[in-house]
Amino acid sequence: MKATIKKFLQALLVLALASSFIGLGMWQLHRAQDMKNHKTVIDQRIYPLSDLAQPTGSIPPESIGKTVSTSGHYIANFKAPNQKDGKGKVADWEVALLQTDTNSAILVVRGLWADRFSNPAIVMSSNVSIIGTLLPHQNDDRAENTPQQLSRLDSSLLTSTTDMQLFDGFILEKNESTRAGATVRPRISAPVLTTGIPGFYWQHISYVAIWWLMAILILWMPFYSRRVGKQ
Amino acid sequence: MTEQQTFGALNRFRLMAIICGVNLLLLIFGYMPAKHIFNIVETHHWMVFIPVAHGYFYIVYILTALQIGVQKKMPLTTIVALIAAGTIPFASFFAERKVVKKYS
Repeated sequence: MKATIKKFLQALLVLALASSFIGLGMWQLHRAQDMKNHKTVIDQRIYPLSDLAQPTGSIPPESIGKTVSTSGHYIANFKAPNQKDGKGKVADWEVALLQTDTNSAILVVRGLWADRFSNPAIVMSSNVSIIGTLLPHQNDDRAENTPQQLSRLDSSLLTSTTDMQLFDGFILEKNESTRAGATVRPRISAPVLTTGIPGFYWQHISYVAIWWLMAILILWMPFYSRRVGKQ
Repeated sequence: MTEQQTFGALNRFRLMAIICGVNLLLLIFGYMPAKHIFNIVETHHWMVFIPVAHGYFYIVYILTALQIGVQKKMPLTTIVALIAAGTIPFASFFAERKVVKKYS
């Protein structure tokens, strides 16, 4: 009786471990699939900003990297030093706070700080229409935070200086136009967005093989033990 | 089991223990700091080879550990320890030395 219970418990343990390993393999397979899907789906549509984000909450993950349009007028201008673009080039960027309606505003990356005088200055009261990529706020500081300079692209740095409700994240501008016409200046290339899943597709696939190999090993172990025991 | 077969399995295990061990050291002391401390993997893209290779080398390492384990009728715990050694820095080198000392 005792031996039967022992065998039953061993079998249960083997099955539990094997199914855990199969589950871990499946999880890695889904992660690999997610990485592949993320690379292939490119949304070309331009969404109104209010459809994808609200000033009261954080940007939903599915809205990140989408192209958005909005309009308003600039109410403040900042330098954002040591920013890295999509090509890995580090430079100082010109960032402005765009008031989109009576009480909300969003940070907009307009271009390189060095190019800020290359176009006629847009008067603060001018209505500006912009199109750009919606990106999440940055977490790490790249410089000192001062009234004229942002240490990182994060609207929470400005909450003490304005009564506006600030959108989380920022827009990396692709186009900007006023009633006088489009503003022509070099734009910053958007950083390559990742899924947030660490690792690489083929790395996850190798882990799938490892976990499933472990599952097979666990299922084979009792037979091996019996064979070695007999010998 | 012929001596030649054992010699082949032992050599395969030795080779994979060394490759896997070196790759794991590169992963932990090279790739990890490069990615998480110095943030240079984006500019040195060849480094992605390290974690990807680690996964595949480890699969082959497991198979060679199983082969030598079964051939030498090692206890189950020893086989499991040999497999686990491929995931701990330096452990595969110790495992390789122990196996060579005992079975060559």
